[in-house]
Amino acid sequence: MTGEHVSAQVLAAYAEEQLTDGDAESVEAHLDSCDACRASLPPSEAVQRVVASVALALDGLLSTPGRLRPGTGWRRVRVLVGAAPAVRAAWLLSVLVTGLLILGLAVSPRSLPPWVLLLIAPALPVVGTALSYGPRTDPLHEVVAGTPQGGLRIVLWRTLAVLTVATPVAVLAAVVTGISTPLMWTLPGAALTAGTLALGSLIEPTYAAAVVAGVWAVVVLAPSVGGLAVVAASAPVWLAVTGVAVVVLYARRDRVGRQAG
Amino acid sequence: MTTVSVAGLRVSYGNRAVLDDLAIELGVGVHGLLGPNGAGKTTLMRVLATVLRPDRGEVRLLGHRTDDRVGLRQARRRLGYLPQAFGFYPRFTVREFVEYFAWLREMPAARIPLAVDRAIERVGLRDRADDRMKHLSGGMLRRAGIAQAIVNAPRVLLLDEPTAGLDPEQRVEFRTLLRELGRDAVVLVSTHLVEDVAAACARVSLVDDGRLVFAGHPEGLIAAGGDGDSGDSPIERGYTAVLRGARQVSR
Repeated sequence: MTGEHVSAQVLAAYAEEQLTDGDAESVEAHLDSCDACRASLPPSEAVQRVVASVALALDGLLSTPGRLRPGTGWRRVRVLVGAAPAVRAAWLLSVLVTGLLILGLAVSPRSLPPWVLLLIAPALPVVGTALSYGPRTDPLHEVVAGTPQGGLRIVLWRTLAVLTVATPVAVLAAVVTGISTPLMWTLPGAALTAGTLALGSLIEPTYAAAVVAGVWAVVVLAPSVGGLAVVAASAPVWLAVTGVAVVVLYARRDRVGRQAG
Repeated sequence: MTTVSVAGLRVSYGNRAVLDDLAIELGVGVHGLLGPNGAGKTTLMRVLATVLRPDRGEVRLLGHRTDDRVGLRQARRRLGYLPQAFGFYPRFTVREFVEYFAWLREMPAARIPLAVDRAIERVGLRDRADDRMKHLSGGMLRRAGIAQAIVNAPRVLLLDEPTAGLDPEQRVEFRTLLRELGRDAVVLVSTHLVEDVAAACARVSLVDDGRLVFAGHPEGLIAAGGDGDSGDSPIERGYTAVLRGARQVSR
């Protein structure tokens, strides 16, 4: 074995004490003088268990330095929401502008036809959702996609953050326009958001959002189906759309938020 | 004991096969992944990071098959990954950035604060821990990236071009860190800097045109080179010799 290195198979056999005494001795003699082979010697199961338990025990004994930030639930939420790119200036601004439009409508009802609000308010979460994940809009998509919480879980957290901001705007729009009830305004919003997520498991999320927003515009503006009837009497349709989207989302949950860039 | 095992791996973009029938076995220690630009290093890294699904082939990480949902989640908890290019959330501090990935990798909540602090300290960013990411230099960003990759004490650590943007002094420190990490984890470092491999890696794999053309100790690569081969150092001459040999065979 002089001049040569020990093969990985022999090292593994040595670590598991499967070698004869003579072979083990010559392996040891080589290990004494060879850094490279010593470095590739795998620790045995028993040694790994000891190391892990010592590490665990030490963790408890070591004093925690004063610089540490405690891992409070509030801090976690802040980090989670802060990481959602949707909760960013551009999108928040559009939510704010919509809110102002609604207030403007409340003050002078003639300044703006109500269908404009119907076009915008339920589509806000679609845009926010699309902005919050995917290789195009999340600067850390690549790393996040390789983590156990990445994919569907983190996408749902971010969607929740988006809906928290966007839903009050839809409710406000319902109240100000006086068309139907607030619940009827949020139903299309939920259906469109779920639809975006489901379609986003098939194609790139930003494209998915564009398709969903386009379909919504057609529905709202089309003379035959459209207009304000969309929110007035179509709850079963939106519930059905939401249901189908959730089923697709569940079936393709491994793909959500994990597409290659 | 191999903890990363890949067999029959094929990845193609359109009609072009980037990796073709590639097999590789990695055990505990620091492994250098060398190869010319476009050889498929980053693609292999992305497959191992479970970000890219291969067209064909079997990938096992820590004994878990990556096409098995439960096993994949287990493996991802013990995986650390630094891509070649990565962005950041500008409003995050270094600490929040690292903490975010500790949480994403499902570390027990009680252990996160200490683990975050240690990871930041190991990459030498202790003084900048509460600075916003947008105020960091390129080298500091790279180190923050390394901190997020090691925060969960990964058993498999994948670093794609980690020394890009580091100055010579930082690179020396980084190699020391690599050797420490390689004591109890599989560390795979992709690089086009042959010297990095000679200095810090116990084993080296060379990929060319989507195939593995060399796997062994750095001395083996050095031994492959002769006086007639181009290169400024023995290992560079070995590198060019192995590449030339592989290309002659494939023709």
